[in-house]
Amino acid sequence: MKRLFAAIAAASAMLAGGLTTPAQAQKDLTVALVPGLTTDAFYITMHRGAQHAADALGIELLFQGAPDFNPTLQVPVLNAVIARRPDAILIAPTDKVQLVEPLRRAQDEGIPVITVDTFIDDGQYQDGSGPGDFPLSYIASDNVLGGRIAARALAEGIGEQGTVYVSNVKPGISTTDQREEGFKLEMANYPGVTVLATQFNDDDANKAASQLQAVLARNPNLAGVFGANLFSAVGAANGVRAAGKSGEIRVVAFDAPQSIVNDIEEGLVDMAIAQHPAEIGYYGVMTAYAHLTGQSVPIAIGTGFTVIDADNYGDPDIAKFIYSE
Amino acid sequence: MTTLEASSPLAARQAVVVRWLAVAWSWLFLALLLVFFEVWARAAYDTSFLLNRFNIQSITLFAVAPLLLALGQTLVIISGGIDLSVGFTMGLAAVICARLMQWLDPALGPELSLVIGILAAFAVALIPGLTNGYLIAWLGVPAFIGTLGMYGIARGTGFLAAGGTTVPVRNEYLAFLGNDRILGIPVPVIITILVVLLMHYVLSQSRFGQYTYAIGGNREAAIRAGINVKRHTMAIYVIAALCAAMSGVLYTARFSAGAAQAGEPLLLDAIAAVVIGGASLFGGSGTIIGTVIGALIIAVIQYGLVFINVEPFWQFVAVGVVIIISVLVDQSRSRLTGAHQEDR
Repeated sequence: MKRLFAAIAAASAMLAGGLTTPAQAQKDLTVALVPGLTTDAFYITMHRGAQHAADALGIELLFQGAPDFNPTLQVPVLNAVIARRPDAILIAPTDKVQLVEPLRRAQDEGIPVITVDTFIDDGQYQDGSGPGDFPLSYIASDNVLGGRIAARALAEGIGEQGTVYVSNVKPGISTTDQREEGFKLEMANYPGVTVLATQFNDDDANKAASQLQAVLARNPNLAGVFGANLFSAVGAANGVRAAGKSGEIRVVAFDAPQSIVNDIEEGLVDMAIAQHPAEIGYYGVMTAYAHLTGQSVPIAIGTGFTVIDADNYGDPDIAKFIYSE
Repeated sequence: MTTLEASSPLAARQAVVVRWLAVAWSWLFLALLLVFFEVWARAAYDTSFLLNRFNIQSITLFAVAPLLLALGQTLVIISGGIDLSVGFTMGLAAVICARLMQWLDPALGPELSLVIGILAAFAVALIPGLTNGYLIAWLGVPAFIGTLGMYGIARGTGFLAAGGTTVPVRNEYLAFLGNDRILGIPVPVIITILVVLLMHYVLSQSRFGQYTYAIGGNREAAIRAGINVKRHTMAIYVIAALCAAMSGVLYTARFSAGAAQAGEPLLLDAIAAVVIGGASLFGGSGTIIGTVIGALIIAVIQYGLVFINVEPFWQFVAVGVVIIISVLVDQSRSRLTGAHQEDR
C-alpha cells in the first residue's frame, strides 16, 4: 500500500508564497518553542524542523519544555519562557482549558502566541468566540483524521472482516483521545469489523503486551490492533509476537520513530501512521516570522500523514518522515 | 531462620511463624483471585482461566519487569529505606545496553557486543546504586529524598543517552533472551526465577539477610551489635540498582529497543508488590517469596480483568480496591497474631 496523504496544501502554499522574497536576516528576533513534552521523538523532530526554519531565517530559537505531558509541569516552563521575553511563542498546550490564562499572560505582555500540535479553547482562533481566541494560528495534523487513516489501513489489512481493538495510553490526552475517536468513527463504516473495548496501558509497553495476550486469550479470532502511540504499539506488537501470531494479527502504529520502522522491517508491526512533526515546526517558525515582519498569516495550517509499511519504508521520499533528531 | 532482634528462642520462633503466616496469607489471596477468575471464565465464557498455558505464560512474562524491580526494593524496604530511583535506573540501563550494542555490533559482531552491552548496563547501574548508598548511609540523607534526587538524575541521563527517543537494537541473541521459550517457559521468566532463588537464599539463609532485617528492625541495635551498617546499606542499594539493570536488559531484549522511560510506570507497582507480600514500609519485615506473590497478585488482577472483559475505567478502580484489600488483610493478620514488627 503506497498511499501518501498530502497536507492541506493550499494554506501552506499561500504561506510559502508570502515568503518568496525573504527579508534580510533579523538576528535580533527570538522565537520560543514549548513542546508538550521534551522526551518524545515527535517533539524532537518538530524541534529539528523549527531549527531548520530558524537557521534559514537567521533568527534564534529557544526550545524549553517539561519532561511529561502535563499542564502542572508545562505552566512553570511557559512562565520562565515568557520571562525571557521572546518575540513569539510556539507552544503545544497540554490542556485546552488550563493553558488559556497562562497564555493570555504572554499575549498581554505583547508576545504573540501560535499553537502547534495541540490547541487551546476550541482550536478556532481569531473568530471572536471563546476565551482562547487570541492565538494567531494553529498548526497541526488532524489527529481525528489520523485515527481514521489508521482505521482504513487496518480494515484493508484484515480484509474488512474481524475483531480489533485500540491499545491506548490513558484517557484525557487530547491527541490520543482524538486518534481513538477517529479510529472508531471510521471503523463504523465497516460492518464486518467489530471494535472491542479500548485497553489503557499507562504508556507501559509491558502492560500493553499483556493486555493484547489477555484480549487474544478470550478472542482467538482477534484480527488486528491499533496502537495509538509508540509504547501502545510496541507493546501490542510484542504481545502478538509472544503469541506466535506475527503476520496474522495486524498491528497499526501511530507515530514513526526509527524503532517502529525496525519493527516494520522485521514484520512485527504492519504499518505506521507518520505525522509530519518537522513540517509543523518549520511552518510554526515561518508563521511567527511572517507575523513579526508585518505579513498576515493563516489562522490554521494542516499538515498531513504518511503511511509507512514494509513496501515503502526504504523509499527516500517516505523515509524522510521517520522521526529523528 | 533467626533474626538479631529476636532475643529469646521463643521470640525467634514467633518471628518465624509470623513471617510464614504473612506469606501464607498472600498465597491465600492469590489463590482466591485465581479461583474468582476461573469461576468467572467458566461461567461466562465456558473456558478455563488457569488451565491455559497461554495465560500462564502471559501472566508470568507480564510480572517479570515489576518483579525484578520489587526484588531489590524488598531488601531496601526491609532495611527501613525506600528506593524511588529504580524505575529510571532500569531505563538508563536499558538505553546504555541498546546504545552500546548498536554501536559495537559492526566492529565486534553480535556475541561480543551482546556481552559488553549487558555488562555495561550493570556497570552503569552501579553509579546510582553507589551514590544512593553513599548519600543515605554516610551523609544521612533521608532515603526518600536521596533516591528522589537520583530519580531525576537517572531520568535525565537516560534521555540524554537515548537522544530523547527509543534506541532500536538488532541482535539475534538478545532477541532470544527476550522472546524465546525453553520447554514452554519464556526465557525472561527463567532468568527471573534464577534471580528470585538467589535473592531468597541471600535474604533468608545468609548473614547478609540477617543483617538486613537487623538494620530495619533497629538500626542503633544493629550498630551496637557490630554490624557495619553503612557498608551494608550501600550494598543493599547497589543490589536494588543491579536488579533494576537486569530488568532494563530484559526490557531491551524483549522490545528490541531501549527506552529511558521503560521503568517509570513500574515503580509504584513494584513497591505495592513488596507491601502486598507482607513487608512493612517501616522496615524489619518482608520476604522474597512474599514479594513474588505480591507481584503475581498485581499481574493476575490486571491480566484477569482484561480477560474477563471488565470495562477499562472499572479496571483502574478494581486494581486499587484489590491492592487496598490485600494490605488490609495482611495487617489484620498481623494484629491477630500479635506481630511485633508492625506495632513498633
